[in-house]
Amino acid sequence: MTHAADLADRITEIVGPRGVLRRPGELVVYRSDGLPGYSKQPRLAVFPRTRDELVAVVRLLAEQSVPFVPRGAGTGLSGGALADDVVLVGLNRLTRILSIDPVERLAVVEPGVVNVALTRAATPYGLHYAPDPSSQAACTIGGNVAENAGGPHCLKYGVTLNHVRAVTAILPDGEIVRLGSAEGEVDGYDLLGAFIGSEGCFGIALDVTVRLSPNPQAIRTLLADFTSVDAAARATSEIIASGIVPAALEMMDGATIRAVEASIYAAGYPVDAEAILLIELDGLEAGLEADVARIERMCAAAGARSVRIARDESERARLWQGRKKAFGAMGRVSSHLVVQDAVIPRTRLPDVLAAIREIAERQRITVCNVFHAGDGNLHPNIGYDANNPDEQARVHAAMREIMSACVAAGGTITGEHGVGLDKLDYMSLIFSEDSLAAMCRLREVFDPDHRANPGKVVPVHSCREWHGAPKAAWTA
Amino acid sequence: MARRTEGSVDRMTVPVSAASSPAAMQTASGSTAPSSPPLRPTTTAEVREIVGDAIANKTPVRIVGRGTWLNAGRPVEATRQVSLDALTGIVDYTPGDLTLTARAGTTLAEIARATAEHGQWLALAPWGGDAGSLGATAATATAGPMSGALGTPRDMVIGIEAVTGSGQVVRGGGRVVKNVAGFDLTRLMVGAWGTLGILTEVSVRLRGLPEQEATLALPLPNAPAALADVVARLRSAPIAPLAIEMVSATLAARLGLGQQPVVIARLAGNADAVSGQRVALGVIGDVMEVPDEVWTTVRTADPVEATVVRFSSTVARFPELWLAAERLATAGDGHVHATVLRSSARVVLPHNEDAPTDAALDLLRGASRDTRIFERLPRALWPVLAPTRAADRLSQGVRSAFDAHRLLNRGILGETHA
Ligand SMILES: Cc1cc2nc3c(=O)[nH]c(=O)nc-3n(C[C@H](O)[C@H](O)[C@@H](O)COP(=O)(O)OP(=O)(O)OC[C@H]3O[C@@H](n4cnc5c(N)ncnc54)[C@H](O)[C@@H]3O)c2cc1C
Ligand SMILES: Cc1cc2nc3c(=O)[nH]c(=O)nc-3n(C[C@H](O)[C@H](O)[C@H](O)COP(=O)(O)OP(=O)(O)OC[C@H]3O[C@@H](n4cnc5c(N)ncnc54)[C@H](O)[C@@H]3O)c2cc1C
Repeated sequence: MTHAADLADRITEIVGPRGVLRRPGELVVYRSDGLPGYSKQPRLAVFPRTRDELVAVVRLLAEQSVPFVPRGAGTGLSGGALADDVVLVGLNRLTRILSIDPVERLAVVEPGVVNVALTRAATPYGLHYAPDPSSQAACTIGGNVAENAGGPHCLKYGVTLNHVRAVTAILPDGEIVRLGSAEGEVDGYDLLGAFIGSEGCFGIALDVTVRLSPNPQAIRTLLADFTSVDAAARATSEIIASGIVPAALEMMDGATIRAVEASIYAAGYPVDAEAILLIELDGLEAGLEADVARIERMCAAAGARSVRIARDESERARLWQGRKKAFGAMGRVSSHLVVQDAVIPRTRLPDVLAAIREIAERQRITVCNVFHAGDGNLHPNIGYDANNPDEQARVHAAMREIMSACVAAGGTITGEHGVGLDKLDYMSLIFSEDSLAAMCRLREVFDPDHRANPGKVVPVHSCREWHGAPKAAWTA
Repeated sequence: MARRTEGSVDRMTVPVSAASSPAAMQTASGSTAPSSPPLRPTTTAEVREIVGDAIANKTPVRIVGRGTWLNAGRPVEATRQVSLDALTGIVDYTPGDLTLTARAGTTLAEIARATAEHGQWLALAPWGGDAGSLGATAATATAGPMSGALGTPRDMVIGIEAVTGSGQVVRGGGRVVKNVAGFDLTRLMVGAWGTLGILTEVSVRLRGLPEQEATLALPLPNAPAALADVVARLRSAPIAPLAIEMVSATLAARLGLGQQPVVIARLAGNADAVSGQRVALGVIGDVMEVPDEVWTTVRTADPVEATVVRFSSTVARFPELWLAAERLATAGDGHVHATVLRSSARVVLPHNEDAPTDAALDLLRGASRDTRIFERLPRALWPVLAPTRAADRLSQGVRSAFDAHRLLNRGILGETHA
């Protein structure tokens, strides 16, 4: 049995007094991440400044059998970084870009490097880091790896998984392993692929080697304006079926448009539209205009009132800023905002969006949609007041119905935000007990004692052979 | 690769009793031949029964798809064969979703036929042609010349169903193109060579067929500096090719492209995009328009039972790798082709089971900084040449977690040599 105070002292020896938070008052800020409605207080929080400190901390926790939760920037939307009375390991001080190799088009970064900082550092070489979550100004590469994060431009360029070549990770028992390779292919099991998206349950990424992508020769950004969500959804299905792969294809509905236009992020979207599509085409200059013309025709045929093309980089940036800050703009309208995440086959967009509207009306809640339409990755967002129990109950009921509708359409319960705590209950909607048990066995290869981010991703009852709660390992 | 290899190409080294070892006397089929005829399940439930039975009797099982690449990988020890050639058919294909789900034994040819009807394709085109099965392609993570531009099965498989070595039917991923629900059983099974489970169903993402295509060939210089220059210019040219493959002189001759090494580029897009890229390539050298069929020939050019080794390298070392691989191929009477956008080279040597070629041995002995993946080797060479691929603790743990008795494709990762 370890006493929390003793442990805090020993951790302080490693990271110094300024690297540890132990008073409840100081820990309050770490009670939540980007997901509202949950509050879990860590027992302790530790913020190593160097890799060596981090390794020493993880090894100490291993020696003492203490569970822990890795945390990047805390922008996660599924409660993944919440630490319920265990140790929170903050990685946001490990922010060094260790190398950028413009010939190999590779970068090696510490886990706390902020997504957009990497792209900024690559800009002088005409390169960028392709996965661009809307939270990219804050979220970390370590958090992106743990969630297998996506973003608008993942439609053409792929998600985090497709851009990570190698990870050095420390396993919960303190062993350091190298997964993947920066120097060519790897033979044998794709352990790197298994680690990506493991939500902090397989260990902590110490460094990440990512691919950098050359900036496209040419870019065109289109704004198509529709008087119904249904028409915009049909246009999306048409474009995808045509075989043209836009760099990004995002949809925003009327409620979102009006929230954005009322905020400081006003992008010049048509406020009387019921939906807009933000479509970006990029690649070679040769042939781009022909694809732009085809997309314009498809939008018009689906009923677009107008299709506007950004004239210059500043107009393009403004159109994107409205999209990327849409959650922030909606957050101003209500006290709490749940950013939901689900994926459906792209031909089902019109009917699932209609089903979501019907659910919202019946449950008397407001749903705004702003999402990666080209991937079929929905984000039905619900603004509400978490202090109103009746409203909270209706929101929960609606979310469950929305998830069920997406699953019934052949979809999945999360496309990029992860399962975390929030979606544990939905896992059995899509996976059998045997599949969940297999996932548990995979986790146990990396973390036999379930000490890393305990209780997340796979419901505990599905881990048949799991032996007891790790929290018992220490006392107050 | 292999400064050492380069220097030792014409030094006739003889293997340590490889030819006389008992293993070398066995057939090249890659298995200790099971006596009974293969079991041919038609449903997942039947596959599960077969695995259940194997567990009960502790009988190791050899998994067979269409059998076109069976003797790749280390020799397998098995007393029973399960063939998936009757577990076939497309389960779900909605063209507008650009996704497709098929049973594991479905051939790539059948998928190509069904998708082409809707102007789509599974843009994988792996080495070996389209006679193989989708399940085997996923299980071996086989890619082809387009992998540098469009990715490998790791990028294209969006979901699987499998029967694990513990007899459980599990699913990973799904039928949508983005999915992070749960720990990633899909990535784990792709490339696991059947050692964690028998794939019974695979879902993939598709693409629209390009409006137009063109294939152009450029001669490759022999002088190292000139070669490196051409490769660098190909990389930085304003083109977005589906593939750029370098082929050695012997292979170029088979493609009808003359007697010297060439590089072939597969351009695609709308009419303007293709003509713009043609012009851009023309700036690099004397381009020659060649028929698109050369791609099929490149994919199926291996001599029967060839020894195949894949090298993978970095951008900086790639030209050096190419030159060394070319010398090896010449010495061993074979050919080499290299995927520029992946910095990898595939060396193909005629197979000689009883007396492995000296060039093949040099591949073994050459001190190389590049990664070597041995696809297919003379049987006797496996234990000497190729260390086991899954010896680390995590890999062993994964194997035990999914196939505790090592019943599926036992030995294929080299575990019996560990
Ligand atoms: C001439 C030629 C060259 C090739 N070159 C290469 C190459 O360089 N690199 C490469 O990786 N591939 C190569 N391949 C393989 C090929 O492209 C694909 O792997 C695939 O199409 C073979 O299909 P199959 O059904 O015939 O496989 P099979 O020969 O039946 O099986 C291949 C392997 O996959 C396993 N397997 C088959 N089905 C399943 C399943 N459902 N679940 C789990 N495991 C399964 C088998 O046990 C076996 O080890 C080549 C094939 C040919 C014919
Ligand atoms: C406004 C807004 C917009 C968003 N838009 C997108 C979007 O477009 N696409 C998208 O995919 N997501 C989006 N997100 C969600 C979120 O930003 C991503 O999930 C992001 O990857 C989380 O990064 P983080 O550094 O904040 O991680 P955290 O929230 O701190 O942690 C997330 C998970 O990762 C684990 N973790 C963190 N660092 C490590 C590490 N080094 N090693 C191992 N595990 C670790 C944690 O334990 C936790 O389980 C958005 C969030 C917000 C608030």
